[in-house]
Amino acid sequence: MGILNNTLPSNIATDAVDGVIGWGRKSSIWPMTFGIACCAIEMMAVYAATFDLDRFGAGVPRATPRQSDLIIVPGTVNAKMAVRVRRLYDQMAEPRYVIAMGACVCGGGPYVKWGYNTVKGVHKIIPVDIFVPGCPPRPEALMDGILKLRDKVGQDEVFRRRSDTAKDLERRYGMIK
Amino acid sequence: MEALEMYTVDRTSDVYTEELRLNLGPQHPSTHGVLRVELQMDGEIITAARSDIGYLHRCAEKIGENVTYLQYTPYTDRMDYLASMNNNLAWSLTVEKLLDIEAPERSQWIRVLVVELNRIASHLIAFGTYGIDLGANTPFFYAFRERESIMALLEKISGARMLYNFIRPGGVANDIDDAWMDEVLAFCDDFDKRWDEYNRILTNNHIFIKRTANIGILTKEMALAYGCTGPVLRASGVKWDLRRDIPYLKPYDEIEFDVPVGMGTHGTLGDCWDRYWVRMREMRECTSIIRQAIAAIPDGVHMEKKMERMYKTPLTPEPGEAYMRCENPRGELAFYAVSEGGKSPIRCRARAPSFCNLSVLDKLLPGTMLADGVAVIGSLDIVLGEVDR
Amino acid sequence: MNESEIISRMREAGLGGVGELDTSAADPFVVIEADSLRAAMLFLRDDEACAMEMMHCVTATERKASIEVVYHLCSYEHHHSLTVKVICERPEGGTHDNWRPAVPTVADIYAAANWHEREQYDLLGVIFTDHPDFRRILLPQEWIGHPLRKDYIYPSEHGGIPLELDAIPLYMEGGEEAVAAKKAERPAGEPLNQPPSKYSARPDAGGKAPESSEGKVNNSRDSAH
Repeated sequence: MGILNNTLPSNIATDAVDGVIGWGRKSSIWPMTFGIACCAIEMMAVYAATFDLDRFGAGVPRATPRQSDLIIVPGTVNAKMAVRVRRLYDQMAEPRYVIAMGACVCGGGPYVKWGYNTVKGVHKIIPVDIFVPGCPPRPEALMDGILKLRDKVGQDEVFRRRSDTAKDLERRYGMIK
Repeated sequence: MEALEMYTVDRTSDVYTEELRLNLGPQHPSTHGVLRVELQMDGEIITAARSDIGYLHRCAEKIGENVTYLQYTPYTDRMDYLASMNNNLAWSLTVEKLLDIEAPERSQWIRVLVVELNRIASHLIAFGTYGIDLGANTPFFYAFRERESIMALLEKISGARMLYNFIRPGGVANDIDDAWMDEVLAFCDDFDKRWDEYNRILTNNHIFIKRTANIGILTKEMALAYGCTGPVLRASGVKWDLRRDIPYLKPYDEIEFDVPVGMGTHGTLGDCWDRYWVRMREMRECTSIIRQAIAAIPDGVHMEKKMERMYKTPLTPEPGEAYMRCENPRGELAFYAVSEGGKSPIRCRARAPSFCNLSVLDKLLPGTMLADGVAVIGSLDIVLGEVDR
Repeated sequence: MNESEIISRMREAGLGGVGELDTSAADPFVVIEADSLRAAMLFLRDDEACAMEMMHCVTATERKASIEVVYHLCSYEHHHSLTVKVICERPEGGTHDNWRPAVPTVADIYAAANWHEREQYDLLGVIFTDHPDFRRILLPQEWIGHPLRKDYIYPSEHGGIPLELDAIPLYMEGGEEAVAAKKAERPAGEPLNQPPSKYSARPDAGGKAPESSEGKVNNSRDSAH
């Protein structure tokens, strides 16, 4: 009623719930400490002093999936690792976001033709929000990916539900050991 | 992992205890990638360890059998991605040995220059991440500051930040100019000052010494038996460096440099601190090598015209085989290429230094505390891309 | 010492099964019979003049008529090195599916050989008899086949994980029905054509017949590109 009557004090701002929560989420992204291959070194460079990801509120990597809401998959995922990537993703709490970093996880990269045990793109295993191509992508490219993700997070509906949850998948395929 | 099978529970005491199996990795901040170690713990003491690798197996050897000799150079970049130049060099030398050619003299000096720059960059990562492993976050930021300068320098000549594909069979991709060499010299002067800074913040830190000295002692006999090479071997007191003992590039013959070996300064010979300190001193030797190389670099071509013509069709060496060893930041990298006269080798084997250095881990871990186990893994300085290939 | 001196020293010590030095390659090598491999390795390690304290690398190479296991040894003390080969002849009709050569292990003589031998078993299917810990090392334990064989056929999935470029993602827009419809188009688990289908020794399994009519392993490298 305060809004309609215009009787709110001047230090109170109003917004839709979606907007407020989205703004909060996008400004404090907690990525997971997760390095697979070459791209992980560029990811480390992004966290380090020169590029300083902390400017965008995403600079403190957490070592456990339970505390993080962004998984950057930096490097080739093979058959042995794919099970682990799935498990890490499943352990993260909703809302969770995935950035596929590098050519290998975007679609196979240099290992697409002859790689007998590489997964040709991590989107075969987990749903991906942002693809950052490059071999490896420059730190600026990863930062751009994270900025794009921020935009996406900010526009999210709060009371949404992803159609495919991990539980569904387990029932359907039974692939998690 | 024999000890694991004998599941011993002490039921004689009043307190019920049992041994715990602990899974370290593959997603763990201090396993330097996707290494997985199965540990058997008695309280906080590791009683048995078994490392499980292969989480980054990328079929590099199969690819080598299917692409041409020249096309394989980028794949060698991605093996030891912290020292791409060194891997390019080893592969180029292998192909040159198969073809029975030699790179022009100027290109050999350029190779020395870029390889030593990359060695510093690689050791900087080892230094920075080792600090993080042991709970010191600051060295990481210091190390990456200098590493960014090296990357900027190498980007100027090769066009890439990390995976260069710069050294190729028969020479190097681009020539370098005097302005670039001046920048390298300026970097070296700067780096030597920074190096003293590193020692102030980490090397002589009392806590750091307590965490690393007398931990994970690798004896000389064990290092030799397990095929350890590079800083890991030298820290155990073996004065062996391929660059000095079997110079595979001409400039290494003419350049004066010292081979740092472990001395057991703060503890026993071959402990974690020794391995760390050998790497740190190697960085200083690298700047000295770079200065000498820039002073002595001759004029000439960076790649023979004949070779550039050969690149238009795939290289087809005579049937034969070549095994070429090179001193990488992590140890001796060797490529074994077998040719049957075709466009690609029929076998392309990489003997990765990290692979051999890691194999000793199962013997080093038992008897140490879990927190020290992390110090041991970090001191071996493995790159999983190279372990699994 | 150079290689020929090492070999003559091995002969003087009465080691049998030591062949002639082949100097045609860039690195001269010597062929040793599998039965006398362990004795030769022990001699090379313990003899003072040889003192090969370092097993640098163990490689298995598949050729048309054989699989050879190559040992690169070197000495820090004397700065010399030696390449030793053990050649396992390919039996008649020996392919990826039915032939795994056997070589005695040297893992107890050189600890470094332990992981190298496991890797060669993993990738090429060479059995190292009496190895202390004989398991796969790089690939998952339940992996089928040895990928570095020339007639290996690429798998399309492993344990539910799709390995092909055009595989159906486990997550799809449209939910369960969309995945099921896609899966019906090509059932998972069907082996893929190995990219150079000419190498394939099994025309029935690969889907595309190999060009070599004998159905044997074709090691010709001209078809690579």
